[in-house]
Amino acid sequence: MVVYNTLLMYWFEWIALGALLICFAGLAYHMLRLIRLGVQDDYSARAGSPAAGVFYSFTGGMDPRKKESAYLNLPTYVSGVIFHIAVFVTIVLFFLFLTGVNPGQSASLLLSIVTFSGAVTGAGMLIKRLRDQKLKYLSNADDFISLTLVIVFLAMAGLTLLLPAAYPVFMLVSALLLLYMPLGKLRHAVYFFAARIYLGRFYGWRNVWPPRKV
Amino acid sequence: MEKVTKDKIKAGLDVFRQLHDGKLLTHLNSCVHCGLCADSCLYYLTMQDERMIPANKVDVVASVYRRYHTLAGRVAPRLVNARELDDATVEEMVDLLFGACTMCGRCVRHCSIGVDIEYVVRMGRKILSDMGYVPASLQATVNAALETGNNMAIPDEELLDTIEWMEEELQDDLEDPQAEIPVNQPGKNVLYTLNPREPKFFPLSISAMAKVFYAAGESWSLSTAMYDVTNYAYFSGNQEHGAIIGQRIYEEMEKMKAGKLVLAECGHGYRANRWEAPNYIKKAFPETISSVELMAAYLREGKITPDKSLTEEVVTLHDPCNLVRGGGIWHEQRYILKNCVQNFVEMSPYGLDNFCCGGGGGQLAMGEYNDRRLKIAEIKAEQIRKTGAKIVATPCHNCVDQLSQINVNYKLNVQIKTIAEIVADSLVIEPKSQK
Repeated sequence: MVVYNTLLMYWFEWIALGALLICFAGLAYHMLRLIRLGVQDDYSARAGSPAAGVFYSFTGGMDPRKKESAYLNLPTYVSGVIFHIAVFVTIVLFFLFLTGVNPGQSASLLLSIVTFSGAVTGAGMLIKRLRDQKLKYLSNADDFISLTLVIVFLAMAGLTLLLPAAYPVFMLVSALLLLYMPLGKLRHAVYFFAARIYLGRFYGWRNVWPPRKV
Repeated sequence: MEKVTKDKIKAGLDVFRQLHDGKLLTHLNSCVHCGLCADSCLYYLTMQDERMIPANKVDVVASVYRRYHTLAGRVAPRLVNARELDDATVEEMVDLLFGACTMCGRCVRHCSIGVDIEYVVRMGRKILSDMGYVPASLQATVNAALETGNNMAIPDEELLDTIEWMEEELQDDLEDPQAEIPVNQPGKNVLYTLNPREPKFFPLSISAMAKVFYAAGESWSLSTAMYDVTNYAYFSGNQEHGAIIGQRIYEEMEKMKAGKLVLAECGHGYRANRWEAPNYIKKAFPETISSVELMAAYLREGKITPDKSLTEEVVTLHDPCNLVRGGGIWHEQRYILKNCVQNFVEMSPYGLDNFCCGGGGGQLAMGEYNDRRLKIAEIKAEQIRKTGAKIVATPCHNCVDQLSQINVNYKLNVQIKTIAEIVADSLVIEPKSQK
C-alpha cells in the first residue's frame, strides 16, 4: 500500500492537483459571475414565499413521483441516480487518494461496486445516446466526451480500489476530467444548483410552489 | 425572410450582453440534453419531430450564446455545437420559438434539472424581436394595441354600442331597468378590464360578469381609454412594447382612482399585468387580481349565492397555463365550479400538470402556424373527451377561442364557457326594484 501511505507526491498526483486547481478556478469563475449578477428586483406584489419555493425546488420539486421525466422513464431515472451517486463517491475517493487515505480492504470492495455500477449505468446512458433517435438528435460532441470521461473516471476509481497499480491512470484521467469540466456540459455541476434556486424563487414568489392542496 | 445584417446580429446578441441577473446565464448553461422533457411537450408528443423537443428549443438559443460567450464555443464551436447568429439559425429560431412553442411551461415543471425552458424561449423571442424577426401576424396584433389601445383595433363607438347592447340584455335578464354596465366612472372600487375578444366575438361574457357584479353589489367601471387586458408584447418578446402597454394600464388605474384592477378571464393577460408589467415599467402596480379570484371571494364572503341545481350537465375545467403554472391561480376556479355546478369532473392531468389547449404563446394570433396549432390540440381534445363532460369551463378567452375550434375540428359536441358565464348561469337574483 505504498501508493496510499506515502507523503511524497508523485508526478501524476501533481498533474491531478494542478488540474484540480484549474477546475476550481474555472468553476469559481462561473459561480462568482452568477453571484455578481445576483437576482433582479421583482416589482410585482409577492404572493408566496421565495424561500419556501427554493426549499420545495430541492425537495418535493424533485420527487420522482411528481416528475414525468422520472416516472415515465424509470430505468433512465434510476440509472441517472446510480450514476450520480457513483460520481459523488468517486470525487470523495479522489480526495482520499490524493491525501493518502486508504479506505481499507472491505470498504474498497464495497466502494468499487458503487463506482463500477456508476460506470456501467454511464455506459448504458452512452449507448442510449448513440442509439436513441431523440438523444442522437440532441447530442453534440461535448455530450459524448463528457459522458465518456466520467465513465472512465468511475471505472478507473473502481479499478484502483481493487488494483492499486491503476492509481496513476486514475489520477491522469481525473486530471483530464477536471480540466474539461469548466469548458463543457459538466459545468452543470454548478449551474444545476443555480437553476433550481432561480426556479424555486420564481415559483415561490408567485405562490405556485410549494403547491397548495385543493 | 429578410437577410441577417451586422446591425441585427449586434441587436440580437445584446440580449446576452445586457444581463440583469444570473437567470438567463444559469438556464442557458444547465441543460444536459437528457431529452426527458420530450414527454411533457404537446408539440413533440403529437408530431414526434425531434426538433420540437423542448431541450432543442433551449439549445438553439444556448448554441448562439456558446458561440459568442464561451471559450469552447469561440475556439472549437463544433465541439459544443456553438452556432453563428446567421440566416439559418434565425430561421430555425423563428420556426421553433414562435412556431413550435406555446410557452405553456409544462416542460419546466418536469425538467430533470430545473431549466426554465419557457423563460429561455421568451428570451429567444426577445432576441428575434430585437432583430426584427417577430412573425408579421403577431407583430400586427402588438401594433394594433400600441396604435389603438386594444389588440383588435376596436373603435370606441363599436365598443360602446356593444356595451349598450349587453346592458339591455342584462336589464332584460335581471328585469331591472336600473342594471348597468358602468363606463368611464372614476372612483369605483373595481376597474374592470376586458379581453377585446369579448366585445368582438363573445359579448355575452361581458353581461355575465356584469350580472355577477350586480349580484355582489360591486362598485365597478370599465374604461374606454384602456380596457384591454392582453399584452401580446409578452409573446412577441419586445419588452419596450410590453412596457408601453403596461404603463397605459397603470396610468389608467391612477386616472380612474379605482380601488383595485380586476383582470378579465385571460391567462396571459393575468400573467402580463399581474406579474410581468410591474417589471416592464419598474413600478409596483396597485392591487391587481383576476376576476376568478374576485368571484371566489364573493362566494366565500356570501356576496353571491349560486344555485348548483341550475347546471346539471357534467362540467370539466381547462386550466390556462399562464394563470395556473405561471400565476399560481388554480384553487379559485375549482372552488367556484364546485359551488356553482352539480357535476364537476377534473381532466387528467389537471392543475399544474394540465396540457395547454394549443392556443397559448401567441399561437392564435399567428395564422402561419394554424395547422400545427390544431394538430397539437388533439391532446386537449382527448382529455376533454375522456371526461364525458358537456361543458368545458375555462378562465381564459384565448383558451375559449382555441377550445371552440377544437370543439368543431375534433367533433366534441361540448359547450365552452368562461367561469363568469358559469357563475352567472347559477345565480338566482331578485331584481333590486323588487327588494
